[in-house]
Amino acid sequence: MEQNSTLVSGEKAPMLTVEEISVSYGHIQALKKISIEVYPQEIVVLIGANGAGKTTLLSSILGVKTPSSGKVVFEGKRIDKASVDRNVRAGLCLVPEGRGVFASMSVLDNLLLGAHHNLANKDKNLARVYEWFPFLYKRKDQIARTLSGGERQMLAIARALMSDPKLIMIDEPSLGLAPIIVNSIFDILITLNREGYTVLLAEQNAFKALNCAHRGYVLETGTISLSGPSSRLLNDPGVKAAYLGA
Amino acid sequence: MQVFIAQILNGLSIGSVYMLLATAFNLLLLVAMIIHFSYPQVVVFCMYIIWLVLKITNNNVFFGILAGVSSAILFNIISAPLFQKIMKNREEVDINATMVLSMAIGWIITDVLSHAFNNGLPIQFPEEITGSKPLFRVGLISILPGQVLALSIGIIVVVGFFILLYKTKMGRAFRAIAEDPAGAKLVGIPLVKTGFQSYALSGALGGLTAVLLIMLFHSASPGLGEQVSHKVLAVSIVAGLGNLVGGLVVGLALGILEALVQGYVSGNWSNAIAFVVMLVIILVKPRGLFGVKV
Repeated sequence: MEQNSTLVSGEKAPMLTVEEISVSYGHIQALKKISIEVYPQEIVVLIGANGAGKTTLLSSILGVKTPSSGKVVFEGKRIDKASVDRNVRAGLCLVPEGRGVFASMSVLDNLLLGAHHNLANKDKNLARVYEWFPFLYKRKDQIARTLSGGERQMLAIARALMSDPKLIMIDEPSLGLAPIIVNSIFDILITLNREGYTVLLAEQNAFKALNCAHRGYVLETGTISLSGPSSRLLNDPGVKAAYLGA
Repeated sequence: MQVFIAQILNGLSIGSVYMLLATAFNLLLLVAMIIHFSYPQVVVFCMYIIWLVLKITNNNVFFGILAGVSSAILFNIISAPLFQKIMKNREEVDINATMVLSMAIGWIITDVLSHAFNNGLPIQFPEEITGSKPLFRVGLISILPGQVLALSIGIIVVVGFFILLYKTKMGRAFRAIAEDPAGAKLVGIPLVKTGFQSYALSGALGGLTAVLLIMLFHSASPGLGEQVSHKVLAVSIVAGLGNLVGGLVVGLALGILEALVQGYVSGNWSNAIAFVVMLVIILVKPRGLFGVKV
């Protein structure tokens, strides 16, 4: 699963730059001047315990939460004040924690919802998604509620692909899934990355995530405590002690 | 037996009105996330608009219906920003705020109708739109063209609405928002814009309902909206709030129940009996017959 970490290049401009953003819920400050960068074709992982701010960071990038200060730049344009649907159209997408699949709707409806702004390319994208996830084709008329947890996660990823995203953000894909399913989800992420997609992943399962990502950031109570190439984070004594159980 | 058949037909035709109004109410509840229980007042307002346009155009039915449907759509679109403004959070139903605004709209309409039109007296619609000659008469049964039309238009509109809901991009967005507004926002569905579409669509449903009411009642009064609104709210609650299919079934059932009571019980007991039956259902099934969907 390990990828080489030399892909991080200083020459290319970052696809996504988060610059010192702060976000609060009422009096509680969830993010304190956080900065991260994601370069094209990278897999970047955010590691951190529950409540460290991973989900808040991802939803602030998408535009669900508006940061109180700082800025978010995607492909050279500021997006921190833009609406979610504009950001989705611009090529961002988020596969939410707990899958976010519409349980009462059919598999096909779920996929088409991902293509809400992109119906012109739906046939091409459906064909591609069905090729990657053949079970989705077989069950396209089934109600999403009948899928297993792993299948729902794959449906959520497939739905994200329907919007022709440039950056796929995935929140806790391994949550509540059996280890063997978790492996195949991470394999899918690596395949997507090889196909040219850029991935920003939030994950508590630090070992698996770091093994698949190029670089990582460690979040602790709303700040970034450590960052660097995955191989370095994997060997960092602090990370080992806190997240790898060693 | 003849009374029975006649009253079933009566009930189905008035039931189709309840069915359309419950559908519009549920659509606004599910997608725009407002409780607009005074919506029937808006519909009665449109009946008055139709009456006015018929007067002006010398009973041109086409213009009358066109004016009725478009005024309903327009009214809804104009009231949308008010609801939008008063809601704290676009992602959940704000019962208190939207109910107060809905109530205000209802009362203002009722007052305007009782002062500005026909000195507050009930209005009568001309035969051009009501078509009062019975299609046929067998014993006690006489079938009026308005009843047949109301029932068939009601069914066609409901079928069309469900096709739209299940086969179009807009309908898919409606269903997604109804199931999970926050999740719908995440996949990039614009909540405010889609909400506006639901105001427009329920407006169209309301305008058509105004036409059906004219064909069935041949008249209207300022208080009609309030009467109907209580029933539509009751239908929606008995069916289960936000349950579209339930609204259809219970709407038709209420129409039939009322008509049967009118046919077999002397005196005007149909409202009281209908509400007692609905009360009993709510006591037995507090989440409605078909389950709450919000």
